Parts: sequence; C-alpha cells; structure tokens
Amino acid sequence: MLSLDVLAVALGIEGALIAGALGGLVALRLWLIVRTRQVDAGVRALEPLLHRWLLDDVDATAIVLLLRRQRPHVAFRSVARLATAYLTFERQQTLAPLLRGEVWVQRVLGRGRSVFWWRRFDAARLLSIVGGPDDADLVASLLFDVAPAVRLVAIDAAARLGGRLVDLELESLPARQDAVQQYQFAALGRHPAIVVEALLPRLAPSEPAAKLNAWIDAAGALANPVALDRVRALGVHADATVRLHVARALRRHADPETVPVLLALLADDDWRVRAQAARALGALRVAAAVEPLAAAVHDRGWWVRYRSALALAQIGGEGRTALLAVSRGPDPMARDMSALVAGLSSAAVVEMSEV
Amino acid sequence: MSFHADPWLVQVVQVADLGILWYMLLVNSFFALLLVLAAPQLFSHWRFGSEDVLARSLTSAAVPRVSILVPAHNEAVTIVDSLRALLTLQYPYFEVILVNDGSTDDTMARLVAAYDLYEVPPAVMRRLRTKHVKAYYRSRTWTKLLVVDKQNGGKADSLNVALDAARFPFVLACDADTLIEPDALLRLARPFLFDQKIAAVGGTIRVVNSCRVEEGRVVDARVDSRWLSGIQTVEYLRAFLFGRLGWNMLGGNLIISGAFGLFRRDYLTEILGYATSTVTEDFELIVRLQRYLREHDTPAAVVFIPDPVAWTEVPTSVAVFGRQRERWHRGLISTMVAHRQVLFNPRYGATGLIAMPYFLLAELLAPVVEAFGLVITVLCTLTGVLSPRFALAFFVAAYLFGTLLSLAAILMEEVSFHRYRRPADTLRLIVFAFIEPFGYRQVTVWYRLKAFVRYFQGDHSWGRMKREGFGATAPAGAVKGTAPAA
Repeated sequence: MLSLDVLAVALGIEGALIAGALGGLVALRLWLIVRTRQVDAGVRALEPLLHRWLLDDVDATAIVLLLRRQRPHVAFRSVARLATAYLTFERQQTLAPLLRGEVWVQRVLGRGRSVFWWRRFDAARLLSIVGGPDDADLVASLLFDVAPAVRLVAIDAAARLGGRLVDLELESLPARQDAVQQYQFAALGRHPAIVVEALLPRLAPSEPAAKLNAWIDAAGALANPVALDRVRALGVHADATVRLHVARALRRHADPETVPVLLALLADDDWRVRAQAARALGALRVAAAVEPLAAAVHDRGWWVRYRSALALAQIGGEGRTALLAVSRGPDPMARDMSALVAGLSSAAVVEMSEV
Repeated sequence: MSFHADPWLVQVVQVADLGILWYMLLVNSFFALLLVLAAPQLFSHWRFGSEDVLARSLTSAAVPRVSILVPAHNEAVTIVDSLRALLTLQYPYFEVILVNDGSTDDTMARLVAAYDLYEVPPAVMRRLRTKHVKAYYRSRTWTKLLVVDKQNGGKADSLNVALDAARFPFVLACDADTLIEPDALLRLARPFLFDQKIAAVGGTIRVVNSCRVEEGRVVDARVDSRWLSGIQTVEYLRAFLFGRLGWNMLGGNLIISGAFGLFRRDYLTEILGYATSTVTEDFELIVRLQRYLREHDTPAAVVFIPDPVAWTEVPTSVAVFGRQRERWHRGLISTMVAHRQVLFNPRYGATGLIAMPYFLLAELLAPVVEAFGLVITVLCTLTGVLSPRFALAFFVAAYLFGTLLSLAAILMEEVSFHRYRRPADTLRLIVFAFIEPFGYRQVTVWYRLKAFVRYFQGDHSWGRMKREGFGATAPAGAVKGTAPAA
C-alpha cells in the first residue's frame, strides 16, 4: 500500500508544479504582451516609410537604416509582414541587395540549418524576400526539409531564385498532394518564362503517366499557349488518367484546334474523361459542341450528365434550347438533370461550373 | 493507517484501495503523457497558424473543395442567421447543404422566404439508405446553398442525406447552431498544405455562453461567470488543447467533433455514412473510420488541429447538463460494445492497443471507479478502517493533479491562442479550475453512472434541452454539443 510519506512527496511535487504553472502563466502572458507591442511598433514605423518609398519619396536606404535601428526579431517580423503585402517582385529585387549585408538579415539566414524547424522557417521566409543566387544550396535543402511548413515557404524562395531550383520543383511536383501542387503552381506562375522553358521537354508521351499528369496540371495552371499546345498533343495518350488531365488543362486553352480534341475526349471510354471534356467545352463556350453535349446529358455516368448539362447552360442560346429540349424528353435521368440545371440562375451556373 | 475492524474487511479495503490508487496513478500518468505530447504540437500549430503566409497560401486554389453538411431540426429562431454565417465563411470553394429533418416549427418556411428557395429535381446520386426525402431546393440569391427537406429521422440520418447530395471531395459536418469562425475552414485545410494524407480533420470547440455574438459571429470572447458553464469552459480547453493534440502523436485520435469536423467524403461513403442506431454518431463514426483505414491498409490520418474554432452553447442547468452527459456516456458504452473486437487487437494498431483501451479504462469505467473509490474511502474513514490523514492526503493528491491539468490547459491557451483578452476572464478560468472537483465532478459521475442503467434498459433517446440562444430566446431542441473527453 502507498504510504503517507509517498503521498506527501506526491503532494509536494504537485504543489510545486501548480505554482510553476501559475508563475509560467503570468510570465508568458507578460512576455507575449511585450513582444507583440515591440513588433507592432516596428510595423507601424516601417509602414509609412514603405509607402513613401513606393511613391519614390525616399530612398531605399532609409528603410535599411530604420530596420538596422530595430531589434533583429522586430526588423525581421516587420519585413516579413509588410514586404509580401506591399512590395512587387521588382521592388523586392531592389531592396534585397541592400538588406543582404545587414547583421539582422545574416542572423536570420544563419538559422537556415538550425535543428529547430521554426528557425529554418524564418530563414526560408526571409529568403523568399531577400534570397539571391548564393542561397541556391540552402533553398534547395529547405525545399526538401523534414518540416512541411518549411518546405511550403521554401517553394516561394525557390520560385524567386529560378534556375535549377525550378527543375527541382518540377521534379518534386508528382510526389506532392493536390493542395501542395496548387500552391507550387501559384509560386511558379510568378516566373512563367523560366518555368515554361523547363516544363516543355517534360510534356512528352514517353514520360510516366503519374509525372506527366502533374506537369500537364502545371501547364494548365500556367495557361501558357505554347505549353498547352504540347498538352493538346497528349489527348490521344493510351493512359486514361493522362487524357483526363489533358481535358482538364485544355479548359483554359481557347484555341480552334482545341475543340476537336475535346470533342474526341467527350466520346472517351472513361466517364471521368468525358465529364472533364464536357466541363472544358462549357468553359470555352464552344457552340459547335451543343449537339454532342446534349447527347452526353443522356450518359450513364452521373458526373457526365451533370457536367454536360452545365456546359450547355454556360454556352447559352442554342445550348439553353438544347437543355430545355432534353428536359422535356423521355429519358428520366437526363430529364431530371437538365431540369435541375435549366432552373439555375446564371450566377449558380458559373459557380457550379467552376468547382 | 489505523485499523479497528475485522482482518478480512481490512484486507478487502487494502486490495480495493491499492487498486484505486494504481488506477489513479495509471490514468493520471496517461493524462500527463498526453500533456507532454501535446505541448510541442500546440507550439507548432500556433507558430505556423500565426504566420500571414498561411492566409496567403490558403486563399489560393490550393485548398480542397468542401461541402458543409448542416442537419437542422426545429431551429426556426436561429436558422437564418446561422446559415448566413456559414454562407459568408472565408473560403474560396464550398457549398452548404442544409437538411431540414422534419421540423415541426416553421424552419422550412423561414428558409424559403429568407433565401428565395425554389424546388429542383432530385438529380442526386443516392448511395445511402435514409428516410424519405421530400424535396430539394436551391437558392436564387445564394448559389452555394442546397436545402433538402426530409422526413424526420434524426441527426445521423440527415447527415447521410446531406452526404449523398454533396458534390465535393471533402465534407464538413456541423450543427445548425454551431458558430464557425470566419477563417476556421481555411485553418482546417492546413494539413492538406502540409502534404499529409488525411481522412478527417477536427478543430476546437469552445464555449459560447456569455460571449458577445453579432450576426452569427463571436465578436468578444468571455468566460461565463456561472459555475456550470464556466467549469465546462475549462473542461473544453483541457479536452481540446491537450487531450486531442496528445492523441495526434499517439496516432489513435478517436474523437472528431460532430459539430465541427472535416472528412474525406469517399471514406464516409465507403463505410455507409453515419450510424443511425447510436446517440453519439460522431464518436462511433471515427471508430468505424479508423477500423476501415486499418482493415484496408489505407495510410490516411485522423488529425486534430487546435486553431480552427467553432463555438457552441453548453447547458447551464444541472438537469440539462446531466441529460447531455448521460447521453454521451451511453453513446460511449454502445460504441465500445459494438466495436469490442477492436479492443487490444494489434491489427488495429494504436486504435486497438492504446485508444480503445484508454476509452474503456479511463472514460467508460471512470465513473464506476470514482464512485466506488469515493464511497469506500468515506465509509472506511468513518468506520476507522482507513486513517483520516491518509484519506485526506489521497484526496488532496487527486484534487491537485486534476487542477494541475486544468491549469496546464489554461496556460497553453494563454501562450498560444489567447482568445480571452481580459485578465478577469483568465482569473475566472483559474478559479473554475480549482472548484471543478467540488460538486461538478460528482454530478458528472452520477449522470454517467445513470447511463449504464439506461443503456441496459435499451434506451436510445437523445433527451431534451432548453437552449438559451446567442443573446436571444431560442426554442427547445435536442441536446447537442460534443463530448470534451480527452
């Protein structure tokens, strides 16, 4: 049985822990208040100066001098908060070389190989604003960091630096989840010329389907005509998933040569490809597709019927007429779907076609 | 200890005492482990959640498309405002599917009038068996809204109807009277940006009582000064801030709140949606989901993240509170019985070897052990079998440990999200942490014990509750809320 002495020890330890918890509560609260005030004051001081610099009222060195006078963590937080909100890529490029020599910048970037993820995160964050060619190795390592938050921020830094880092990003794309891929597309989209150059040789039928799909999506997200021309040629790929991604990417490619490819995909064996082709034809508002789309509203696949009916509504005019005709036809499933879409407001059609 | 009774009685008491002590030591050590595991995670979430990079990334096309499923039964007073708050969430791609579950008040009429609803054909893929659906409606003013009117079948049945009507790959189940913070969906989507394979994500539920609410949004977070809701505020903080975060690390998270949880739709459809036979459909669903993932070797995680917040009203009268706790415990018993083959089964990994045994020992049996311990300690002290000094020391040790856990939760809240801005609110939380073991715990134990009786009587009812509403008088509704168990 547990003796009274042991219980007394347990009580003593618990009491000490409670006292520690309460003390910690007060101390941390005070620390947070002080730190927040410091950063807020830093941001308030920097903000008007940034505005004046954007209006060419002051020289960039005034910003550098102001940041030099601040505590390192305040300078970093102020720049991180304001630079991405206010400064274009070109402005950041002007400011970056001036900031690189600053002690506080060196201190933050020196954390890029820290064992603590939040320090590497800070370094990656700053690299996305002041990174230069000399930082390529560090950014490359951060791009494959063990901490997902660091990897995510490093994507911005890598896209900013270009060169082999873009190749690295494109190679890493297929292994990423959808959400991360979309984030990468947005980052890569800020430097389309470099990215398209690296992307074109990858859009070849000989590439494995999984990789090809990610690169087709990248081409679609970039909406670059040259890359999308290459994508169109993949519409006859043997792998259904590739054809699916082609149909999805081509909805941003309003080119006369795209229409026959999409019409062929609307007759694909795979229902997912047919649904995406219908969606693309609607997005491009292809009047010539009204008849095949009206036929597709009778498809055995729910999503094909749904996307085709929406596409007809998007096309409008003849498309609407065809939709109403189907809604009065004998096929109950086609009738329900066309009646549903025909009754939607224009805004609802746009909304539902988008997602 | 001083003994004045027969030796056999002394021996029985000694064995019982030893058992209770070991039980307490084991359970409290596990709570301490959860706390230790939760702290670094909380720091990570807070650290990244406070970065503006999150907001930028999440307003891109990167976020997954989400269908929000809202079952509603007799919610006429609050439904229009609650729905508007949902429709104006900060999220790029979502739809709201509200299911009117055979309301007998004018919920449906108010919806039709407020959102300009018109009936549409039932062009929906039906995969789940549910009660009869009367009609589907779309709104002329809010394109994201779909309203389904159906025969009354309960919350789980309504969620299944909504699940069938959902278009998007992820679904968020929430209660009609739960107030979701505008950026909560964006925050809930964070694991997807972290390249994780996700089956379900849960966020934090906080107590809305006494908070200032305007147009369906909490604009000023306060801690209720009334003891019952005040203590529940501490209890929710404890359960969410370190309980569930700790479980993330152990890999066996078994509670994603039914009032605020994001799920992959295809997994829910595969497991045939929500079970209509249980009174805690959220807990049962996660146990079934974890089983499905293990049985199909699917490497998808069920995770909890602390900074997406939804607010819910908690009971303010002991009777209603008791009915709620009794129902939760009854649901726990029925789920544990239904999934007993998972218990101690290595095939189910952390779920079978850690989470389910924990729920059996530290949750399901807790009221039995606590009541037994209390009764035997008092009786033996009165009869002189147990030394009063020992009994007192034992009680103080147990009391202080519980208080310490509550203080740790308050500390984590203060350091990380710091929702309660006034020092007076923090002080209230501390006071409630200290008074929780006096009365509140015993009431909880009593109602949880009643759950065993009602379970064996075959009771499947939800019980009734009078809700106060968010600054307005609300009608009677079913007892809702989410179990704040660790």
